[in-house]
Amino acid sequence: MRFKSIQLMAIGVVAMCSAFNASAETLRVGMECTYAPFNYRTAEGELAGYDVDVAKGVAAIIGADFEYVCQEWDGMIPALLANKFDLIIASMSITEKRMEKIDFSGPYRFSTGQIVGSKKTRVTLFDGSGNPIPGNFDGLKVGLERATTYSSWFEEKLPGADVLLYDSSESLYLDLQNGRVDLIMTNPMKAHLKFLAKADGAGFEFKGPVVDEEKYFGIGVGIGMRQGQDELKNRLNGALKKLINSGDLESYARKIFPFKLHKDEWGQ
Amino acid sequence: MSFDLNLILDSLPKMLAGFGVTLQLLVVSGLLGLILAILLLLMRLSGKFYLDWVAQVYIYIFRGTPILVQIFIIYYGLPQFEAVRDSVFWSILREPTGCAILALTLNTGAYVSEILRGGVLGVDKGLLEAGSALGMSARQKFIYITTPLATRLALPAYSNDVISLLKSTALASTITITDMTGIARTIVADTYAPYEVFISLAIVYMIFTFGIQKLFGVFERYLGRYARREE
Repeated sequence: MRFKSIQLMAIGVVAMCSAFNASAETLRVGMECTYAPFNYRTAEGELAGYDVDVAKGVAAIIGADFEYVCQEWDGMIPALLANKFDLIIASMSITEKRMEKIDFSGPYRFSTGQIVGSKKTRVTLFDGSGNPIPGNFDGLKVGLERATTYSSWFEEKLPGADVLLYDSSESLYLDLQNGRVDLIMTNPMKAHLKFLAKADGAGFEFKGPVVDEEKYFGIGVGIGMRQGQDELKNRLNGALKKLINSGDLESYARKIFPFKLHKDEWGQ
Repeated sequence: MSFDLNLILDSLPKMLAGFGVTLQLLVVSGLLGLILAILLLLMRLSGKFYLDWVAQVYIYIFRGTPILVQIFIIYYGLPQFEAVRDSVFWSILREPTGCAILALTLNTGAYVSEILRGGVLGVDKGLLEAGSALGMSARQKFIYITTPLATRLALPAYSNDVISLLKSTALASTITITDMTGIARTIVADTYAPYEVFISLAIVYMIFTFGIQKLFGVFERYLGRYARREE
């Protein structure tokens, strides 16, 4: 009897400890904090956007505290590997190249790209089947963010293009307006909301189709983490599926867009 | 942490491809900056308060603000004005290289003019009095006495500024220029290996700096040839 009660007590203490640990778990999350409408600071200085909503939703489900770290895009993966933070929730596409260095959860948003240019630039950039025509990019300057899916797509598909690499997406729009570049490639949802729908973007339009080749754009955008953390990965995947199936993920998207940004089958 | 030596060997030649761009930024803005510095110096020494005052304000502004901020104002700020985009200067300001050279020139000009002024003020009054006694005009004294001596006095501090200008050129990579730093950052973005790539980059800059130091050393010895004691 006495032994049993000690055993029970021991189990109780262990259980309490682990419960305590779980609630006190803190994970640091890296994001750009300047990538509206996905992750950005509001005028009040609060983090907001689709990625931020996803992060908060996941944190609530897995019972962890998330601390947010703002990191420039081109240093995102090195910073994760250097242990500056534990997760990347920053609209990062799940590409094969990145998978060599880090692990990803399942997808929580579509990953696509589209070219934007001036309405005055009257060149056919893509053929009928949606492939770029390299010759027609001659003499056009293309602005891209460094280390993005868009820059790897350009590198592979149009190695001869005259590419300028930028550190932030905001400067892309500025230089497109200033005429320093003729074309940019970026996320079409973002380009529409933050540029084309505004007065600044009046003279500009999408050039060519939405590109989403899996080789360059991955199956979607996921949560990045260091390799070899399968337990954490399973918890994150479980949480993302819960967000998809409960309809929360769709509600995050509908705060910003009139449509959802994921496939329901990702919840299975 | 694994340290990939092969990556260093791979990335070194790629970075050296940007050497020409870095050298161009350094040499062009260094020379233009020196001309600007001499103009500012002459304004400061002119004895005319309005010229002196303009030069002082200019120097104060460009020494009082970070070079990165100056680059951003010139690159992103100026084109916001339509007048700038329509002006003849747009052909220079449109190009990132033009903006970088402009910013580096304006910045280094302010610093170097103060270095040169230090040199001019360091010239012994007695020598100038001797010049006057020989009947030299103010202009002759400036050209034959002040200039050579001031150059010798200012040279060590000036070589310091050239080295710091070299390192400032790395900031050009923030406005899309593919200098050595720009290339290194792209390699890091591709390989996610910041240590190897940035350490090799640092070594390249150190070798470059060593070359500049040696060059100025030769020049200093040449200018100081009269001051050296016979052995």
